[in-house]
Amino acid sequence: MRARTRPDRAVNNGRDSGTTLWSTAGVLAGLGAAVLAVASTAAAHRAAVAATAGVAAVLWCALVLLAAKLGGRALRAERELGTVQHDLTAVRAQAAALHTDLAATHNAAAALRAALASAQVEADRDRAELQAARVELTELQNETAALRGAAQNAAEERAELGRLQGEILPEVVTRLRAGASVDTALAPYRALGHARLLRTVAEEVGRGERQRAAALAVCATAAGRVQALATSMHAELRDMQHRHGEDVLGDLLSLDHSTAQVGRMADSIAVLTGARSGRRWTKPIPVESILRGALGRIGAYQRVRLHSASTAAVAGFAAEGVMHTLAELLDNAANFSAPPAEVHVYVEEVHSGLVITVEDGGLGLSESWLRKAEQAVSGKPLDLSTLSAGTRLGLAVVGSLARKHGLSISFRPSARGGTGVVVLIPEQLVTHPSPALARALVPEAPVERPAPAARPAIEPRRTEAERPAEPAGTENGLPQRRRGSTLPTTTLPAPAAQPVRPLSTASAARFGAFRKALQQGPTTTDALPEDDS
Amino acid sequence: MPGWDDSPDRLYTVTRGRSRPPEHAFDLVTLIVTEQEPVAGMQSEHARILGLCATPTAVVEIAADLALPVSVVKILLGDLLETSRITARHPRFAPTKARLPDLDTLKQVLHGLQRL
Repeated sequence: MRARTRPDRAVNNGRDSGTTLWSTAGVLAGLGAAVLAVASTAAAHRAAVAATAGVAAVLWCALVLLAAKLGGRALRAERELGTVQHDLTAVRAQAAALHTDLAATHNAAAALRAALASAQVEADRDRAELQAARVELTELQNETAALRGAAQNAAEERAELGRLQGEILPEVVTRLRAGASVDTALAPYRALGHARLLRTVAEEVGRGERQRAAALAVCATAAGRVQALATSMHAELRDMQHRHGEDVLGDLLSLDHSTAQVGRMADSIAVLTGARSGRRWTKPIPVESILRGALGRIGAYQRVRLHSASTAAVAGFAAEGVMHTLAELLDNAANFSAPPAEVHVYVEEVHSGLVITVEDGGLGLSESWLRKAEQAVSGKPLDLSTLSAGTRLGLAVVGSLARKHGLSISFRPSARGGTGVVVLIPEQLVTHPSPALARALVPEAPVERPAPAARPAIEPRRTEAERPAEPAGTENGLPQRRRGSTLPTTTLPAPAAQPVRPLSTASAARFGAFRKALQQGPTTTDALPEDDS
Repeated sequence: MPGWDDSPDRLYTVTRGRSRPPEHAFDLVTLIVTEQEPVAGMQSEHARILGLCATPTAVVEIAADLALPVSVVKILLGDLLETSRITARHPRFAPTKARLPDLDTLKQVLHGLQRL
């Protein structure tokens, strides 16, 4: 500010010198006016005028000097006032600038404050976010740990499950199938992680197994009863066929045929349910009887032609199975040939046993059917679940029986155009009569009488396990039912206990025959004596 | 009778479904005589009949021997007669010297015997 005032002082100095100039001029003018006044006045008054002019001039001069002095002072004061005003303006400007600055500063401060606040808010938010993120991270870490644990658990569980399904379940199911109870089957696996699952499964399987076994047992029992009924009906029918004449023979034969088919059906069910097959024969059955026994059990038996010259026989314990097998095969063959076509059965004795060939005159079977049939009779254990309502049960039965008796069965296209089924009965099941007995069966010399008919004319060359049929009855005379024979058979009275063929003379025999002839009644051949001549 | 059901053969398989014997060919006392030897492959009952009837044998006796009903035996005999393996002779026409007395006499004798 002082720098600013300096030019003002210079101006003031200029004004001071002007004042001095003006005061000097005034003094001079006073002096001049006094001189003039003195000069112009008459000489009488001159001394008085000169004295007054002189005093007036001195007063004037004093006035001028005072005025000059006051003027100077006023000038200085004005100069100072100007300076002060100038300063004041400068200060005011400065103040205004300061104000402006202050306002700006205020604004800035406010802006800063606002920014600060917002920054604070932002910081708070960030902090909160950070917190949340931290929490989240912690959670994630926990979760990861849990997941890792779960993954480990899952791996363990998977391994356990793998073991469960790979080893334990099949083992348990096998045990259950074998008839073990659920507790027994599960005993070794009590400590296992999946004990409950295992128990549930085992109980279900066990229940299913029990139901299956019960159903099978029911079927087997029912089949057994039907078998027994059929056998006893057979015995009764045979009895009636002997007692009644030829008027009713046809009807009796037809009933007999139906009964035989019912019996075969029951036998089939028995075989499929794992029960024992129908009757048991206590003696070897000749091949011809085997074939006819099979023949008698099918519907279309009249279309079957037997070609057999064999004198061999099939061991009694296997005879029923072989007959049943052949019956099913013959039934198939007859069903596959349209009615006029015949089914031919050939028998051939070979080194390894007995070969029976069944050839039908049907259309022949496709490769796939042949394969299916071969598979069905291949002797694999029977799986009942593979049988559906549409499946022929016959081949399943044949397969079952073939496995049981070691029969080998194969299918091939027949030279006759149809299908040929070849059944090989293994040597162990085949017996051959001795040459003499064979001659008795098919006599070569007419002079020789055959062996009594009540006994089969052949005897097995080997005597394994087969007891010859004995008349039913024990030492105490009570009838005893033999396994495989029916009570009506064994309990038929009197003549059984008597000597089978009482000795009699030829004349008596002839008389007996004659008497029968005279009576012409229902023919009972029971007490016919033998002609020994 | 025991033994009758000891064989798996059913009678309709023995007769191959026939139940009617040929009419008038045989009666119970017709004597059957074998004319040809049995051959292999023959039905066993046929072979046995042929063996049995090497000497003349009555139909009833054959039935007894084979343990088969007479009707069935007649059917089998019919087969053999058709192929001329047997001949049938009726006793009353048999050219024997000692002819049998007539039926009435024999009936009376029978009754007499039964009254004894």
